[in-house]
Amino acid sequence: MNLRTTDLPVAPPVRGRTPLVATGFGIAAMLMYFAGIFGVYLKERALVRAEGTAWIPKKVTIELTQPGMVIWTLLISIVVMQWAVYSIKRDDRQHALLALGTTLAMGAMVLVQTAWHLSQTNLIADEGPTTAATLIYTIVGSYMVAIVIGMIILLLTGFRTLAGQYGSQQTDGVVAASLYWYSLVFIYFIIWIAVFIAK
Amino acid sequence: MTENQTETQLNTEETASRPLELGGLAGAFGTTDHKNIGKLYIFFGLAGGLLSLVLHFLLRLERINIDGTTILDFGSSNQYFQTWSLSRTSLLFFCVVPLILGLATYLIPLQIGAPSIAFPRAAAAAFWAWLVGILIHVVTVFADGGLGVPEPLTQFAQGMDPEATELSILSIAMVIVAVLLASITLIATIITQRPQGMTLFELPLFSWSILVATGIWVLTLPIWLGNLMISWVDFKGADALRYGNVENIWDQVSWLWSQPMIFAFAIPVLGIAGEIIPVSSNQSQRQYAVQQIGIGALGVLSFGAFAQPFFNAELGDQAVYVGMGILVLLPVLAFFGGLADTLVNGKPKVSAQLILALISMLSLLVAAGISALHVSGPAIGVIQEIDSDWLGGIINWLKDLQGTVIATSVMEHALISSIIASIAGVYYWSPKIFGNKLNNNVGILAGLALFGGLFLSGGSNVINGFLDERESVYLSNPSEGIWNQSAVEFINIIGLIGSVLLISGVALVILDLTASAILGKGNTENANDPWNGHTLEWATQSPPPSGNFDEPPVVNSERPLFTSGGIEQ
Repeated sequence: MNLRTTDLPVAPPVRGRTPLVATGFGIAAMLMYFAGIFGVYLKERALVRAEGTAWIPKKVTIELTQPGMVIWTLLISIVVMQWAVYSIKRDDRQHALLALGTTLAMGAMVLVQTAWHLSQTNLIADEGPTTAATLIYTIVGSYMVAIVIGMIILLLTGFRTLAGQYGSQQTDGVVAASLYWYSLVFIYFIIWIAVFIAK
Repeated sequence: MTENQTETQLNTEETASRPLELGGLAGAFGTTDHKNIGKLYIFFGLAGGLLSLVLHFLLRLERINIDGTTILDFGSSNQYFQTWSLSRTSLLFFCVVPLILGLATYLIPLQIGAPSIAFPRAAAAAFWAWLVGILIHVVTVFADGGLGVPEPLTQFAQGMDPEATELSILSIAMVIVAVLLASITLIATIITQRPQGMTLFELPLFSWSILVATGIWVLTLPIWLGNLMISWVDFKGADALRYGNVENIWDQVSWLWSQPMIFAFAIPVLGIAGEIIPVSSNQSQRQYAVQQIGIGALGVLSFGAFAQPFFNAELGDQAVYVGMGILVLLPVLAFFGGLADTLVNGKPKVSAQLILALISMLSLLVAAGISALHVSGPAIGVIQEIDSDWLGGIINWLKDLQGTVIATSVMEHALISSIIASIAGVYYWSPKIFGNKLNNNVGILAGLALFGGLFLSGGSNVINGFLDERESVYLSNPSEGIWNQSAVEFINIIGLIGSVLLISGVALVILDLTASAILGKGNTENANDPWNGHTLEWATQSPPPSGNFDEPPVVNSERPLFTSGGIEQ
């Protein structure tokens, strides 16, 4: 039987870009949250250094191996997440799910590495609590919460993809999840530079 | 078929396939209908308003005797402070914010012709998270928690429980997350669910004001949340260093109740008045775009996340802060002028909502005026080079106003103008929301009580500001620096009368709402469109059916029902 395009059912209507708009504002809120904390961090750091005191106590050593691993993990996760978007646009749900699952695993790796790094650094070990320790714990702790939220979003997106909700006609959910994930990578890049590299 | 049409059709189909809403308690607890969520917000917002105004009254009563906490026996200045800070948090988060969110959640989808709110489950989750968060916060403050104490003897020696304090911080953080979630659902609804023909320039003024207000909230409240989290992490530590120190917690978060940020919670006043006054005048709003720009400008000028005195002690002398404090008067004044023009050129019909809307606009105008006066000292200081003794005296006098109860007056006027506007909105939209008109006479009486209350309470704070009553009235030496203590205490008695009037006003509204709407005693005549409304919510039944509209509307003006042939179905 010859099948003509006019015999095919009409394409379902395009949905509004509601998930993308909501995600955009959600990301804006998250960026403002971190911008606020970074503002406090940089201001307090400048004050302490202006007094001639070390911002990070001398006995505390912040290893850069784990943050380096985290930033590489996150950079690779951008490619993997884009793979999910690429696949869903081509109705390749199998690869989209594989990519979402891999990104989820990478998120778990980031959590484990960050938690381990914090426990190893032991910011308050010898000199007692410091302003720097409070702010670093707040920044990194908040980031871990943001990663957990990202993982929940990935999980929900994966389930919805599995259920057939997302495909070439409807990619907004996967694209929105990817945008959130990219913003997480951007925030960690700032943490990496401002907190761990510049100290 | 255009993309917009197909989007709206799809939404209608989705609504049609949605399971029926349950009634009764199951319906209330499990609802995802924006109309039910909106009503729940309004109900709890009015109840919270009563609580916060009662606290306001108790604090006012205490200020009759400035030197001691003797009248009500708060026990200590710290417990007095906890009541003081709770009155502020509850006024904002237990009254103003839920009233605004309630009206917006109910009306935005109707005003823009959408069948539902975007992310209805998220909107419901936001409501319940807000309610649980604010209730926990209130309970923990009464359990000796709260957002710090001003005079710690030792860390927890005086009227403070560390676990309750921790829960107070986390519960108010939960409220912020809920408000952000609710804001994002509203923004997404306005941006993506509009019908064919309705650009942002054709948005009804109320919807536009909600878009601006929630946009500002989304950009500023996370920064406040960050302040809270820093305090909490430090507080949780073995030995709080700075941010978690109990005497510092409130100082870090107090900027939300100060200018310019406080005006972000009064932006919807313009939107509500901008809906009511043209309809009551049977006149379309002239210079509609200018009114929209006015609302947008107020939004920009209320972006106050940078104005944190805890981290910037020189804030009061900085040009941006001073400039914003003065400029905030302009958009309010321009908007008020536009409304006055409509009122003068129309045929105004006196009603409760018209009087309440005018009072709310006037209150906001006064708030902006006091704000300009409050920060004007440093601005005049620029011309101090004239080297005039009398001018220098005026400048110093105006500079001394900073930190006095004039700042309280700005907050009081801005937030209570928001409450009055929300009540105006409840009277205006009650036929749509409840299917019954509220009692017009009771509404006018409530409006007059609220106006009188704000005039006396806010006005007494302005006068006492000039007499140097400090804003930190909870400290153990509150009379320090006051010019004439007996005069201040007498004026505080007048303020107390104002506080009683404010409570009476809100109580009257609650009674009217209970009698007219909940018990069904109100007038149901022509409930679908009793005021000859201009916007889309009046094009459907009252209360609207599930899905809101039988068919997706197409509009071609910002006042589709006022403009002849403006709506097609």
